[in-house]
Amino acid sequence: MLEALWHNLDYAASVVLFLIGLYIVIAKNNLIKKFLGLNIMETAVFSFIVALGVVDGGDAPIMGQGAHPPFTSPVPQALILTGIVVAVSTTALALTLIIRIYQLNGTVEADELREME
Amino acid sequence: MKKALVTSLLIIAAIPMLIAVAALPRHGALDTPVQTGISAHYLEFGVEEAGAENIVTDVILNYRGFDTEFEVTVIFTSLAAVLALLLGASTAGATLSRPGSGVRPSVVVRFVVRLLAPFTAMFAIYVILNGHVSPGGGFQGGAVLGALFITLTVVLGGARVAGAFPEASRRWLQIAAPLTFAVAGVAGVLLTGFYLGYPTEVGLHWLRTFMIIAIEIGIGVGGAAIIATLFIVMEAE
Repeated sequence: MLEALWHNLDYAASVVLFLIGLYIVIAKNNLIKKFLGLNIMETAVFSFIVALGVVDGGDAPIMGQGAHPPFTSPVPQALILTGIVVAVSTTALALTLIIRIYQLNGTVEADELREME
Repeated sequence: MKKALVTSLLIIAAIPMLIAVAALPRHGALDTPVQTGISAHYLEFGVEEAGAENIVTDVILNYRGFDTEFEVTVIFTSLAAVLALLLGASTAGATLSRPGSGVRPSVVVRFVVRLLAPFTAMFAIYVILNGHVSPGGGFQGGAVLGALFITLTVVLGGARVAGAFPEASRRWLQIAAPLTFAVAGVAGVLLTGFYLGYPTEVGLHWLRTFMIIAIEIGIGVGGAAIIATLFIVMEAE
C-alpha cells in the first residue's frame, strides 16, 4: 500500500493539494478566500489528470524533426485546457457575484451574511 | 471543537482518495489505459489526419473541435453574465466609495511595464501563431495577451486601455472566438460537407493549416479581449 503510494507520489501530491483547497473552503469565512480554496481544488484535479498522461522519459506530443517516442498522452492535456478555460469563466462569475454581495451588504464574511438573514 | 471537526472531515476525505490513488497503475507506465487508448491513435495518425504537428492542437481543434467551440462560447457567456451583473447594477449603487483607486504604482513599475509591453505582445503573438508546431496556441497566447492588458490597466487605468480600441470594435473582439469557429465551421461544410470539417486532400493541406491558424488567432484575440474586459469591468467597480 505505502509502496504503491510512493510510486504514485505525483497523484498523492494532487490529493494533498485538493485537501488544502477543501480545508480553505470549509474553514475560512471570507467568500473570496473560500473561492480561492475552490480554485486550489480545481488546480489539484487538473494536475492529477495531466499527471495521468505522463510517461517515463516521454517527450511532448509534438511531431516534426527530432521527435522520438515515447510521447506524453495528448488527450489529458487537451481536456485540461478546456477545464482551465471553464475554471476561468466560473471564477470571473463568482468574483462578480462577490462584488455584488459586497455592494449590497457591505461585507463578504459568511457568518455576518448569515446573521443578516 | 470546530477545529477537530474540520480535521476529522479532512482525514475522512483523505483516506479513500489516497487508497484510490495507490490502486492506480504506476505513474509514468507505458501500458496504462491513458496511453493505450485513443491517445495511441492520435499520436500515430494525428499529423496526417488533423494537420498540425502539435498533437494537442490536433485534439483541441480537430478531433474535439465541437467541444472547443462551445467552450469558447462558455467563456463568452460568462463575460455576458458578468457585464449584465455589474453594468446593470452600477447605475443603482454608484455611490459606494472605491478604496485604493487613488493609489498609483511607483514610477519604476510604470516604466518597466511600458518598456516590456511590446515584447510581451510579441511573445503572445508568437505563441498564438506557432500553436500548431510548438507548445502554445490560441488559449495560451490569449492568456499572455490578456495578462499584458491587465498589467497595462493597473498602470495606465482601465479607461485608457479600453480607449485604445474603438467602441464599435470591442464587441467584435470579445466575440471573436465563437465567431471564427462559426466561420470555419461553415467553411468546413462548403469544403467537405461536415460542420468544422477540415479538407484532407493532399493539395489542400495549406488550406487546412490556414484554417487552424485562423481559429487560433480567433481564440487568442477573443480570449485576450474577454480576460481584459473582465478585469477592466471588475476593477472599475
